[in-house]
Amino acid sequence: MSSYDDHHPSGWGPHDWGHGAPHNSWSPLIMSIGIGVFLFSVAGVYEWGEFIDASYIGVSIAGLAIIFIGLTVWWRQDYTFDGGYEPRSMGTPFRGIEVRKVAVWVFLMSEMMVFTSLFSTYMRYRFGIESCESVFMSGEWVEGSSVTCFEPAGHLIASSWFHLAPGAINTFALIISSFTIVQALRYAGMLDIDEDRRRKLVTRYLGTTWFLAVLFLTLKMIEWFLGFPLPEFLHEYNHGDSTIKSLYAEGYLINADSYQHKYYNTDYVASHGHGLDHESALYLMMEEGTHSGGQMMANIRVSASTFYVTTGTHGAHVLGGIIGLTYMTYKASRGGYTPDNAVSIEYFGLYWHFVDLVWVIVFPFFYLY
Amino acid sequence: MAHYTIMGRDPYWMNFYGLMILTLIEVLAVGYDLPEEKIFIFSNYTLMILTVIAIPKFIMIGMIFMHLYGSPDSGILTVTALFPAFFIIIMVLFIGLTHPEATTGLPEWCRPGYYNI
Repeated sequence: MSSYDDHHPSGWGPHDWGHGAPHNSWSPLIMSIGIGVFLFSVAGVYEWGEFIDASYIGVSIAGLAIIFIGLTVWWRQDYTFDGGYEPRSMGTPFRGIEVRKVAVWVFLMSEMMVFTSLFSTYMRYRFGIESCESVFMSGEWVEGSSVTCFEPAGHLIASSWFHLAPGAINTFALIISSFTIVQALRYAGMLDIDEDRRRKLVTRYLGTTWFLAVLFLTLKMIEWFLGFPLPEFLHEYNHGDSTIKSLYAEGYLINADSYQHKYYNTDYVASHGHGLDHESALYLMMEEGTHSGGQMMANIRVSASTFYVTTGTHGAHVLGGIIGLTYMTYKASRGGYTPDNAVSIEYFGLYWHFVDLVWVIVFPFFYLY
Repeated sequence: MAHYTIMGRDPYWMNFYGLMILTLIEVLAVGYDLPEEKIFIFSNYTLMILTVIAIPKFIMIGMIFMHLYGSPDSGILTVTALFPAFFIIIMVLFIGLTHPEATTGLPEWCRPGYYNI
C-alpha cells in the first residue's frame, strides 16, 4: 500500500469506505426531523376527513423536502459501499453479528410493538362494541336515528368475490415479493456467475419486488377510493350492480355517523337472498307489528378508524419499501451488489418480510373476518 | 443463505409454495358459507380456519425467509425477535380479550361520541 493517502474529510460523511471504520451519519437524524415535521403538519390539514387548514400544507412539503435530503445523504453514502467494512458487534449477546443486522432486528421489535398496539385496539373495540349485524337483527333501532355499532370492513369486503379480489391479489403479491427479494439476495451472493449475469438477475428480482409493491398500493387505492367496473356478463353475479364500489363510495368513512348500507335495509334483505332470519328478534317484531322495519342508520366511526389506521400504517410501510426499492433497483442496475455487500439486500429483506408478516395477520382479521 | 433443504428441495421455493397454498385455503374459506356455530374458543368456523392458517404462515416467513432457522445467528436473533412477545401477550390478551366487561361493554370515555375530553 502506498504511504501517500489522499483521504480528505467529505461533506457527505462516511462514503469513503476504503479508509476503515465509517464515521457517523447525519441522515437518520435529518430524516427523523423531516418525518416529525411532516406528520405534525399533515395532521393539522384534515379533521374528521374534512379539509380545514391550508397553512399546514407548506410545512408538510418542507417536511417532505427534509426527508428527501436525508435520503439523498443516506444513499450517497451507501452507493459506494462495497462491503469492505461491515462493522460487527463486540459485546454480549450479539458478539460477532453484523451491527446493521442487529439494528434492523431491534427496529423490527419496535415495529412489532406499533402493530400490536393497533391490533389490540382493534380487538378491544371489536369485542367491546356490538356488531351492526347483531344490532340490526335485534331490532333495537329505529329508522331515522343513528345507533352506535361495530361494522367490520370484512363485512363489506368479504361479501363477494369481487370485493375480495383486490385484498386477495395483494396477499399473493406480497408473498411473491417476499420470495423475489430472497431470490435477489441469492443471486447477489452467488460466487459462480459472471458479473453481468448477476447484475441482470439482481436487478430483475428487485425490480419485480418494486412492481409488486406498487401493485399492492394501487389495488389498495382502488379498494379504498376508486372501485372498479365489471364486464356485463358478471353483473348478475354482483346482485345486478355494474360496479364494485370502493369503501369510500360505500360510505365506510372515519367520520361516518349516519352510515347506511343495503345489508341493513329490511326491504333489500327481503328482496335479495333468503330474507330475514325467521328466528331473529327483528323478524318476530315485524311479524307482531312492533317494528316497522326500514333502513338502519349507524355510527361506525370507531370501526372505520381502526380499519383505516391499521391498514394505512401497513400501507405506509409498503410505501417506505417502495422508496427503498427504487434506490436499490437503481444501484443493482449499475452493478452495485456483489457477494461482498449482498447483505444489504438481506437487511432490507428483513424489513420487507416483516411487512409481509404484518399483512399475514391484517388480511384475515381486517379483510376476511 | 440457507444451507439446508426441505424434503430435498430448495427451502425458499418450498416455503413459497406452502404460503401460496395456505393463502388460497384462507381465501376459499371466506368465500364459502361455513357453519356459524361456536367451535373451541372461536366464534365460528371461518375465524378458526383463519387463525389456524395465520400461525404457520407467520412462522414460515419468520423462520425461512427471515433466516430465524438454519443460520449461525438464528438462535440469538430468534430470542431478540421473541422479546416483544411478552408485551404482545400483555396487550392482546389482557387488554384485548380479558379486560373486565371486555365482551359486554366499554367505559363511557372509550365509546364513540365521547370526543369532548
